[in-house]
Formats: sequence, C-alpha cells, structure tokens
Amino acid sequence: MWAKILLTVLCLSMIGIAAHFNSLRERSLLAAGAHDGPRLRLMTWNIGYAELEDDSRAHTKDLQAVAETILSNDPDAIALQELTGAEQLKILLGYLHGRYRGAVAPPGNSDRVDAVLVKDRDAGFESFPADGKFAIAASFHLRPELPKVVFVSAHADAFSAARRRVFTGEVVDWARNRPHQSIVLIAGDFNFELNPKNESHLYTDNVKNDSEAYSYALKYFRDLGRDAGYTAVNDRRIDYLFGPSEAVLLRRAEVLRGAGVGQMDHWPLLIEVAL
Amino acid sequence: MFTLLKLEVLKLIRSRSFLLSFIALTTFVALMLWGFYSYAERKAGEQVTSQFKYTYESKSYFNGLTFALYSVMFSFSLLIPIFVAMTAGSQIAGERQAGTLRMICVRPVSRVSLLLSKFLVVAFYTYLLVAFFIGLNLLVGLLFVGWGDLQLYPGALNLVDEPGKLLRDEALWRFAYASVSGTWALLVIAAIAILFSVLFDNPATATVATLALYLVFHIVDRVEFFEHLRPYFFTTDMDFWRDVFKPEIPWQSFGRYGSICGAYIFGILLLAVAIFDRKDITS
Repeated sequence: MWAKILLTVLCLSMIGIAAHFNSLRERSLLAAGAHDGPRLRLMTWNIGYAELEDDSRAHTKDLQAVAETILSNDPDAIALQELTGAEQLKILLGYLHGRYRGAVAPPGNSDRVDAVLVKDRDAGFESFPADGKFAIAASFHLRPELPKVVFVSAHADAFSAARRRVFTGEVVDWARNRPHQSIVLIAGDFNFELNPKNESHLYTDNVKNDSEAYSYALKYFRDLGRDAGYTAVNDRRIDYLFGPSEAVLLRRAEVLRGAGVGQMDHWPLLIEVAL
Repeated sequence: MFTLLKLEVLKLIRSRSFLLSFIALTTFVALMLWGFYSYAERKAGEQVTSQFKYTYESKSYFNGLTFALYSVMFSFSLLIPIFVAMTAGSQIAGERQAGTLRMICVRPVSRVSLLLSKFLVVAFYTYLLVAFFIGLNLLVGLLFVGWGDLQLYPGALNLVDEPGKLLRDEALWRFAYASVSGTWALLVIAAIAILFSVLFDNPATATVATLALYLVFHIVDRVEFFEHLRPYFFTTDMDFWRDVFKPEIPWQSFGRYGSICGAYIFGILLLAVAIFDRKDITS
C-alpha cells in the first residue's frame, strides 16, 4: 500500500510543480523603463496580394487604406514591398498629404519593387543590387544632433530558399559596411521558413538555407520583431526588422493585424526603439 | 528490496538484448562519423566555399562537440526508445512467457516491490545506455573530429532561435546534464512499456505496442494538420530534455515539461502497479 501512496503523491507533486511553473510570468524584453531618449518608430509592410490572385503585386485601390494605416500609426520611416513601380509610390505619397518623402528601387529582374518612405525632408535615398534584384535604403536624421539612421527596404525571393540566402547575405553585407556612427536597420519580407515543424515537405534543404540566412543576419543585427508574432497568413513570421544589437532599446514590437485590405496576405510590423 | 534489485540487475546484464543495444549504438556512432565526415568535407570544401560563407563561416563549426550533439539528437527520438521499450516491455511479460512469473509471485515478495524493482532496473539501464552513448560520441568526436566550442544555429536542429555558442567546458557539462534529462524523458516510454508488459502476455506485443504508440504520437506531432493537438502529446513534453543545450537554459519550461514527464511516469506506474497487484497469473 505504501508504494501506491508514494506513487500517487509523486504523481500529484509533479502535476503541482508543472502548474507552478506555468503560472510564473516569463521575463519580457519590453519591460525596461520608459525614459530613455528619443523614439524612432518604423514600419515594414508587404502590401502585395496572396499568390492566388491574378496580380499579386500591390493594388492601387488599396493605397488609400495603406496611407490611413501609416498616418494613424505615425512611423518615422516605412519600408514597403511589392509595389508595381514609381507611379504607385507617387499616388501613396499624395494620400499621405506630403508628410513623407519616398523612393522606389529599380525593378531589376523582378516585376515588383521595394520602396522606402521617410518623414525627414532632407533624407537621401540609395538603391543597391542584391542577387539580381534591388533593395533601397533611406538615410536620414531623426534630430540633427542624433546619429544618421540608414533604413533598408528589401524583399527576398518567395520560392527559392537558396536565393533567399544569397540575397540576405548581400543585403546584410551592404548594411554592415555603412559608416560606424550610423544606426542601420533592415526591414522587409524575407520569407524565411525557420521552423522545421512548419515545413510540410521535409525533403528539401529549405530550412537549412533559411536558418543559415537568418543566422547570418543575426550575426550583425538583432531581430527586433521576434516577439511580435506572425506577420502573414497561415501563422507565418516572414516580415522582419533587423536593427543594431546594442545602439537601440526595443520599446514596442507589434503586428497590426487589422490593417490588411483586399487580398493582402501580410500585415504591417511596427517597431519602436529608443535611441 | 535490495536482493530483488540485485537479482534483476543480474538478469538484465545476462540478457542478449543488453549487449545488443550497446553494440547497435556503437554501430550507429560509426555510421554517424562516416556521414559527418563526408558532409563536412562536401560542405566545407573549396568548391562550395563561396556559397557556404553566408553562415557557417567559422572553421571550427564542425568539431567533436557538434558531432556528438547531432548524433545524440538524431538517435534520441528513434533509436534509443527502441531499446528502452524492448527492455521494459519484457520485464513482466518476459517472465510470464518464460513461465517464471508464477514462481516469483508465490515467494514472500510483494508484487508491488517486484514491479518497482524491475522499473528501477530499467531506469538504471536507460541511464547507462544514454550515458554510454553520450560518452562514446564525445570520445569519438575528440579522437576523430577534434574539439572546439559548440556553436548553435537556428533551424538545423530546431534548438535555438538565434545563433549562440557554448564554450567547450560548459558544453561538456551540458552533455552531462543531458544524460540525466534524457533519461528522465525516456522513462515515460519505459513506464508505458512496463504497463503494456503487465497487460500483455507476450513481451514482443508489449514492445511493439509501446513503440507503435510512441511513433504514432511522434509522427503526428510533426504533421501540420495536428498542430493544435501537440500540447496533449507526451512526445511534445519529452522534448524538454534538449533544453539543456540552449545557451541559456529556459528553467521555466524545463521545470514544467520535466514535471509533466514525471506525472506521466508516476501516473502510469501507479496504474501498472494497481493492475499487476490484482491480476490473476495463470501461466
């Protein structure tokens, strides 16, 4: 009888310990104090449509809604992906009532372009090649006395993990070679499939390629949106905003899941850091 | 109780499956060494350096500790459970098939003590198996691959979500922890096998039933359709043992899932004890 009682007590103790550990709160990255310098608010958003649509690029009819989301969240800079070209950017800037300036990257071998928008009137724009495509960066100052911010908008291949790895490597290499005084951030849709449990076909090396690409980015940058959750339909976290490991403090990381319109399959990722 | 344990240990050591399990694990390590060498050569060779630079730039990535980690991870989910299920599944059903169970039970030894001593011996065997396997991998890694720090990358083993590193001495300690956490996780399988060993007359049936249950959960656990069911599978909880290899051990989830495994172990054992205590032994 004593053995049965002992086993019962042990079993119940284990259940009790498991319940105890479950109720303890995890430490949060966002729990630091609030008064720590000027805030930089950034957004990245792939405004294209799901692949099931005839044209999976951004639709001009949605741009007003995109502008409303931008205006209501008031980011200092925005990285957009999957625009059809400069014409769409011009329309979007019009909806933003001249509060932002922007530029699109050349299309390269793709039928869609990346764009970057900033509030700073003196911002400079520079596009650079990566794996046959182009990414675009804006350089601006949040305040004249603060270091220069370099904000990159990029979009990696959706179908080939090997190409994503090469693309990410070239974007990261470009970004990490910016002047040391500047604060460099890379935003965009990288399409990384990092969780092997989400990989329905286990006979490819997609997970390996994506993990290598992600690791390479993390070698020099920090994944600021890591705790914000999935950014696209089917519970996928494929939109990222990488920032410096130490120069900024993360204050907010949020996916605006109510912001999608039409058949968009991504939601904007909003990041706020203290400089 | 001590005499019972001594007798059970002697029985275990004299059984063929005991030796077979250690030989099989040694063969597996040799196979892993061959695979690891050819993979490292192919991936770190001159012809693919340009492509490979994107992540694994460190020349010391492929070292004995990485080898041991991969080998332990791969074998833990599918190879070691077979031997644990085989040994635990034959404990009661094996005695019954050999016709010795009835004779043991007429002796002045309580059935509960008998079953618990058998479980303790299986637990000892499981630890021995895991510790031997980890030790052998580290030894082979040291002799044939060479040592360095243990570098961890996301994705490859689904172990970390950002790159990390364990210094050599710390990594060796983590392997020591893994021998304990791995044993604890495997004891869930041992408890299930003991239960089936009580329920079925044939040790093969008990072993196959245990493995079938484990593999079904293990496979379903990896199918996307059943993602919402994952928290209810004991195989999900068993994964806690790997947390010791994370640069910072997440003690919260480690404690939680380790305790859930403990609840499974003691709960299933209690059920096995209750059934065995009242069972008619007619063979």
